[in-house]
Amino acid sequence: MSPTLASVLQVSALVAALALVHRPLGDHMARVYAGTKHSRAERWIYRAVGADPDAGMRWPAYLRTVLAFSLAGVLLLYALQRLQDRLPLSLGFAPLSPDQAFNTAASFTSNTNWQSYAGESAMSHLTQTGGLAVQNFVSAAVGMSVAVALIRGFARARTGELGNFWADLVRGTVRILLPVSAAAAVLLVAAGAVQNFSDVQSVTTVTGQTQHLTGGAVASQEAIKDLGTNGGGFYNANSSHPFENPDGSSNLLEVFLLLLIPFSLPRTFGTMVGSVRQGYAVVAAMAGIWFAGVVAVTLLEAAHPGTAAQLAGGAMEGKEQRFGESASSLFAVSTTMTSTGSVNSFHDSFSGLSGGVLLFGMMIGEIAPGGVGSGLYGMLVMAVVAVFLAGLMVGRTPEYLGKRLGPREMKLAACYLLVTPALVLSGTALAMGTGNGESAMTNTGPHGFSEVLYAYTSASNNNGSAFAGFGADTGFHNTALGLCMLLGRFLPMVFVLALAGSLARQRPAPASAGTLRTDKPLFTGVLVACVAVVAGLTFFPSLALGPLAEGLAA
Amino acid sequence: MTLQTRTPAPTPHTAGTDPVRHGPGPRVAGGLFDPRQLLRSVPDALRKLDPRAMVRSPVMFVVETGSVLTTVLAVTDPGDGFGWLIAGWLWLTVVFANLAEAVAEGRGKAQAATLRRAKTDTVARRRTAHGEERVPGTGLRVDDLVVCEAGDVIPGDGDVVEGVASVDESAITGESAPVIRESGGDRSAVTGGTKVLSDRIVVRITARPGKTFLDRMIALVEGAARHKTPNEIALNILLASLTVVFLLAVVTLQPFAVYAGAEQPLVVLTALLVCLIPTTIGALLSAIGIAGMDRLVQRNVLAVSGRAVEAAGDVNTLLLDKTGTITVGNRQAAEFRPVGTVDVPELADAAQLASLADETPEGRSVVALAQEEYRLRERRPGELTHAAWVPFTARTRMSGVDVAGRQIRKGAAGAVAAWVAEHGGGPDAEVAAEVAEVVDAISGSGGTPLVIAERTGEGVAARVLGVIHLKDIVKEGVRERFAELRRMGIRTVMITGDNAGTAAAIAAEAGVDDFLAEATPEDKLALIKREQAGSKLVAMTGDGTNDAPALAQADVGVAMNTGTAAAKEAGNMIDLDSDPTKLIEIVEIGKQLLLTRGALTTFSLANDVAKYFAIIPAMFAAAYPGLDDLNVMRLSSPESAILSAVVFNALVIVALVPLALRGVRYRPVSADRMLRRNLAVYGLGGLAAPFLGIKLIDLVVSLIPGTA
Repeated sequence: MSPTLASVLQVSALVAALALVHRPLGDHMARVYAGTKHSRAERWIYRAVGADPDAGMRWPAYLRTVLAFSLAGVLLLYALQRLQDRLPLSLGFAPLSPDQAFNTAASFTSNTNWQSYAGESAMSHLTQTGGLAVQNFVSAAVGMSVAVALIRGFARARTGELGNFWADLVRGTVRILLPVSAAAAVLLVAAGAVQNFSDVQSVTTVTGQTQHLTGGAVASQEAIKDLGTNGGGFYNANSSHPFENPDGSSNLLEVFLLLLIPFSLPRTFGTMVGSVRQGYAVVAAMAGIWFAGVVAVTLLEAAHPGTAAQLAGGAMEGKEQRFGESASSLFAVSTTMTSTGSVNSFHDSFSGLSGGVLLFGMMIGEIAPGGVGSGLYGMLVMAVVAVFLAGLMVGRTPEYLGKRLGPREMKLAACYLLVTPALVLSGTALAMGTGNGESAMTNTGPHGFSEVLYAYTSASNNNGSAFAGFGADTGFHNTALGLCMLLGRFLPMVFVLALAGSLARQRPAPASAGTLRTDKPLFTGVLVACVAVVAGLTFFPSLALGPLAEGLAA
Repeated sequence: MTLQTRTPAPTPHTAGTDPVRHGPGPRVAGGLFDPRQLLRSVPDALRKLDPRAMVRSPVMFVVETGSVLTTVLAVTDPGDGFGWLIAGWLWLTVVFANLAEAVAEGRGKAQAATLRRAKTDTVARRRTAHGEERVPGTGLRVDDLVVCEAGDVIPGDGDVVEGVASVDESAITGESAPVIRESGGDRSAVTGGTKVLSDRIVVRITARPGKTFLDRMIALVEGAARHKTPNEIALNILLASLTVVFLLAVVTLQPFAVYAGAEQPLVVLTALLVCLIPTTIGALLSAIGIAGMDRLVQRNVLAVSGRAVEAAGDVNTLLLDKTGTITVGNRQAAEFRPVGTVDVPELADAAQLASLADETPEGRSVVALAQEEYRLRERRPGELTHAAWVPFTARTRMSGVDVAGRQIRKGAAGAVAAWVAEHGGGPDAEVAAEVAEVVDAISGSGGTPLVIAERTGEGVAARVLGVIHLKDIVKEGVRERFAELRRMGIRTVMITGDNAGTAAAIAAEAGVDDFLAEATPEDKLALIKREQAGSKLVAMTGDGTNDAPALAQADVGVAMNTGTAAAKEAGNMIDLDSDPTKLIEIVEIGKQLLLTRGALTTFSLANDVAKYFAIIPAMFAAAYPGLDDLNVMRLSSPESAILSAVVFNALVIVALVPLALRGVRYRPVSADRMLRRNLAVYGLGGLAAPFLGIKLIDLVVSLIPGTA
């Protein structure tokens, strides 16, 4: 099979599977979040945290609960890492340094899963399973809750209430993430991923050397790592490690898991606002950008410039032989555009321009399709901006789903849009200006700059992947990146929930022939253009000095 | 006495077609843009450079700060003149923006000057307990009574409490035909500054000096009372946040550039920033708003606030009065339909008698029909010396005459039937059924039935003679107009006092979406509230005092200038021409306002792409030669590339001033088609135009020594 055919088949299979599954899953999620009944297990959880799952929350209450819950997550995770040598299942690992522990706590609570540590040689079983894996579930569920709160803002009228965070959190975890990831874990085990609680095993390799192999609950963590767009691998090598991602089939399954919930949530959105076509317009914009990224990176990688690549028959540096160029490109685009950050190849080794595409995939704000929940709410905020511009051009005060976009709504959307570019640019500038950027680089010239830019883009957008050369484990970067992750996650949530609250108070205006249709291909086009232009204009200079300078130098 | 209402202007005064107006002094011509206005507004534009004023527009404030910065840099380090060129063009960018606003305001000022001329100091004849005293117009208080006779200028706003007079209101409306003002009723309001042409009236002053209608008008057209509208604020927020994003992008660029070994001079970074921030829309935003209000003024409509103009663009439901808007002014008698044993001439005779004193157009048309069709001789009210005329009232819904023991009544079927029954008219089932049949047939065909009954003397039973068929003539072209409105997504509701059957037939003929029959002011108010409960915005026109609650409730309430002070106070717009069809134009102006903002914002953002392709290679191609591939325009030198982008950025503002003042053309098509068209013109156009413009400017700039 030619590589071209292989990549076409691979992408087609993936798209077909997503097309097939997004509908039942999207509808299921809509039912889950609209439901009123509680299972016995859920009731037990609510009693344990002392929450009333039926109490409606206004946006400040919803936000307070989100922030308090996440702060508790950060503190717990920090404590687990700092005390892991004194807790069971320590594997004999020492506690992590304060800055690294903070960085990791921020990273997993913010669904970024940036890893400045190597899991197999630093984290105890208890930290991995009881801390990191738990956050893999709940940080994803938090993202979905906020997205659902925003959907309710659009769907509801004349109410300040956005639902109950505890109910959304518990249901998202128990009824969506747990069952799907359990099924996925079984499939991964079947495909050859490991799943045990064994101690470190020392084996003698073919060449006669000794290797220390750490086992663990790998398959289960792998499942939620991808499903929850977390990205924090059990092993440092992440999804390129054969215990995590044994072969082509597991690879495709993992890409599918990355995209599953982000591409299904628009269906949930459409169902909950009473028009699935609205959801399709959003998903079409997401899919269009994602597909363009896949095509661009696949083609750029297949062009393999340079003598080494031509001799090897492909740009294989940093890629696994068992996946090859196209599966690596597909994984790379999917992981950067879903805010996952797990990798099956090293983005650092991609050609200058395709590295630029991966960077740009994050710079657009992780919305195509983006992280679980965060992708949808990010895209909906972009849609608010697109509706505002396009709505003016049909001569009416812009309305989205019948909700007027007035000064307050635009203020919140504008603030949302400001957060991540501000973090990315000022973080990178601070690192470069203080010399901390240059000292962490492995490469020189524009590629070295790309490493720093990638790190801050990844952290601020809660992606978590890195250009491998970047030496992140320093006090400066652990702290700065940790702050970027926390601010990049929770500041936007403040604006999203405030926006949801302001939308929910409104009574929807009826649609007429004079209203901008937001469920048409034309609007999808406007939305894509808005996303590309806003991110493109913001980041063009920095991209020019990194990937473009590198890629165009040839 | 015949009451003369001023006829509505037959055609709206659209741009350029009717620049010449009557009345004192020339009024501002339509939307045409005169380049000389630019020159005349230069002093105003320079005055606006005051940073305290500039800070109101965050985008342009950033540009001004940049201009100051580059000027300081040019002074401290003169170099080869490049710094001076950039500084000069940045100042020009700010001045051009101020110029746009000044030009827009200038038109309003001309209008205000015209109005001020009407506000000459008058001497009022105030009535006191002992007679009259002469006081200056400015010394009047509310509730003072003043006497005005032919030739007097009315000293202040008020209501006529005594007498009737013809008044020249051209000072305010520009319309030279005099209007009648009389005590009581809906035509009692007079405006200060207008002139009494004949007779004598006593006016009770209702507004304090300085708070009169004329003062409000002057403030409005001058823009003194201008506040930013919600949509303008929302757009400003978006523009400010984009400015912050670009500010960050440029500020953080320096450490990156230092690493690349291509540290940038401050003047270049400032130039980049100014090119990126949305200066085009930032510069024109307030001009667009002022010009929108101005377009209304040109159509003789005064909007109390810009908010109302914006709301007009969003209107979902238009309440239109049938008479004057949908049908030609008045109904006309078309046929006499006798019932029972009565024959046509007998009915025609009675109808004519009953209508002689009825000076309404309907009444006159009955007389005319009787005369033309049935050759009845013309009679005058004066012939019948002992006739007692029974005027029409809203309560009795009948009019008629009592002459020589004979009583004739004419009116709505129900009212006349009640009168007949009251006066001994037996329940003649056959006649009653025939009357009902004829009435229904006329109503069903869209006509208005007027039933005629008579009673020949005391003690004689009253009886119905027949029915007059009054027909409504639907105005030419309204059907198409309503179809247009439907395509724009606007629902039209016809308001009429007719019964449901009549209303339905006219509604069908005119093509309105809905109607409100036998409408009382309360019904109107209820309808508006019902629509608003469904989150719809409602626009209506009104003139009477009883319209005031509905006018106040409506999102866009257009009061007719002929209307009462209460109506004018309640509405948020006043139509000086008192032309109810103008509501449709007001909606279009509102839409045009938003359209222009959206189009220019899109254009402004799309422009940035080309500017990047000009400036980024100019900044970094020396450090990374690969980036020269981005110089797709092949600009001649880095300096020339940067300067060309800055020059383009400044000139495009001037180039778009006429568009901002005139507004983007609005076509009544569906939202989808309009969006597609505007995206193509302003989105793609905005993408392509600067590539061309910057290249052209570069060709010119490269000729300047020192930049090539």
